[in-house]
Amino acid sequence: MLTLTSAHETAAHRWPAGPKLAAAALGSALIFPVQALPVIGGALLALAALHLVLGWGFTREAAGRLWMLWPFLLVLALWHLWTGELRAGAVIAGRMVFAVALANLVTMTTRLDAMLAVVERLLTPFARFGLNPRVLALAVALVIRFTPVLLDKAGQLRQAWRARSPKRAGVAIVLPLVLTALDDADHVAEALRARGGL
Amino acid sequence: MERNLTHIALFAALIAVLGLVPKIDLASGVPITAQSLGIMLCGTVLGAKRGTLAVLLFLGLTALGLPLLAGGRGGLGVFVSPTAGYLVGFPLAAFVAGLVMEKWRAPVGMAAFGGAFLGGLVVLHACGIAGMAVVLGKTLPEAAGLALPFFAGDLLKAVIAGAITQGLARVRPQALLSRG
Amino acid sequence: MDGIEFSGVEYAVQGKPVLQGITLSLHERRIGIVGRNGSGKTTLLRLMAGLVAPTGGTIRVAGVDPAVDRKAMLRAIGILFQNPDHQIIFPTVEEELAFGLRQLGLRADEATARVRACLAAEARAHWAAAPVTALSQGQKQWLCLMAVLLMEPATLLLDEPFAALDLPTQARLSRRLAALPQRLITISHDPQAVAECDRVIWLETGRVVGDGAAAGVLAAFRAEMARRGDSDADTDLGA
Repeated sequence: MLTLTSAHETAAHRWPAGPKLAAAALGSALIFPVQALPVIGGALLALAALHLVLGWGFTREAAGRLWMLWPFLLVLALWHLWTGELRAGAVIAGRMVFAVALANLVTMTTRLDAMLAVVERLLTPFARFGLNPRVLALAVALVIRFTPVLLDKAGQLRQAWRARSPKRAGVAIVLPLVLTALDDADHVAEALRARGGL
Repeated sequence: MERNLTHIALFAALIAVLGLVPKIDLASGVPITAQSLGIMLCGTVLGAKRGTLAVLLFLGLTALGLPLLAGGRGGLGVFVSPTAGYLVGFPLAAFVAGLVMEKWRAPVGMAAFGGAFLGGLVVLHACGIAGMAVVLGKTLPEAAGLALPFFAGDLLKAVIAGAITQGLARVRPQALLSRG
Repeated sequence: MDGIEFSGVEYAVQGKPVLQGITLSLHERRIGIVGRNGSGKTTLLRLMAGLVAPTGGTIRVAGVDPAVDRKAMLRAIGILFQNPDHQIIFPTVEEELAFGLRQLGLRADEATARVRACLAAEARAHWAAAPVTALSQGQKQWLCLMAVLLMEPATLLLDEPFAALDLPTQARLSRRLAALPQRLITISHDPQAVAECDRVIWLETGRVVGDGAAAGVLAAFRAEMARRGDSDADTDLGA
């Protein structure tokens, strides 16, 4: 399955995942209480510079992923134009863009298996409470295996619908999809049991 | 034990698929993304505990960088964006929907609608509105205004969740783990 | 090789009998089980593999109850499901193959080494990281067979192994199966698939109605199927 890791191979891809995650968490926590516009502006510039150092193609991809924030930026702009508190609006918007861009940076430069390794390390202390990292790894593998399978099934159901209806597929395809998920769950449980179970 | 795990994993995949399929028609010609319908169904079909775990697994994989959210979004960024409150609300919504289903011995369709309404509408939007208020620096009523346009669609989704759960109870009663 | 013993086995789902009065002692190297859809063939296989427990009677595989001692069963019995998509658990070829070995207690690096060696021996080293969704139906079937064979079970259970395969793939798979040293128990609705077996068992509505050398049992089976095919009715819902 596709992941959100950037195909633009950068230096940041080689930085270890744990420290990257910690730095991003720290950065978001530090920026949140800040009210001074120059500080936020500086942080944004620094982050933009870091992107540019990592590469132009990478920067463009990162900018594209911030696009999902436009409705909120629009709402903020309209609201603060109305109330006249433009400075306060800029602080909120800048803070939001910084936090999202910083988090995206980690996602874009860290492969799924590196992320999973961090999670497994973090969860080790919980093993004594019955949270088995092996079971978690199995659950993750199952989701990655079966999301495309169910997506495929949804596509088949839509096609079967289209073959007999001029309209777009309706919610009627959801129940058969749920049944497929339930059946697959039973089959995989049996396959697991056939090879030794949990 | 194996069945618990596979049900949780397959429903996590189902939530993703309902968000990733091109929009489907709700009633007459109103397209929706069905991701929150998936959240409701986790609760009403799997029950509170397994349903919550399925949602947590789905969110965990999203956070790790899989594009499983509606429209192929994902990664850590969405967890600090204005809609982060909705993500926090997802597992709570499934839990509440499952709990209503387990405790309220009404007919299946009725209980599933009640659970989906309370979890997928009340609890989910309460969390989502709180999140928007924090990130956008607005008061709760102001943030609620932003969520208002989505209430009608979500109410309809709760009705659909009720109908699907009832349909499932009819064709495959033993599959309804929330009433197991 | 130790055999598989059924004595007075019953299996019912919600009170409705699926198998009744099954007493069998299976020792031959190649065994076929034939019957129509719904005759109880697959349930018989599930019982042998210990995936379900009988509602009456006892089953012993090499002396142990397959539904209870799952650990012993891993080396005793491997099962190839009818639909490879129901068997493949992992997203990549390598993970799928390594899983069974890990279940047998191998360390992750040992399992990976064995998988790599197996793939190399089969001239499929480049498959290791391939996503399972990219495989054709025949390739998926091959993957399932390898995943089971890596665990080196004494007996292999095959559920309609040729059902979804095109003719060249069928030929390749049956050549491969014929060369295996293991005991094979094959179920099929197609008499051709079990014609070479040492012994054939015919199941009908949950009971054994024929048991013996392939030629005799299959001749009777073919005649009965032809007789039924001539009548048009297929109206029994069975519920």
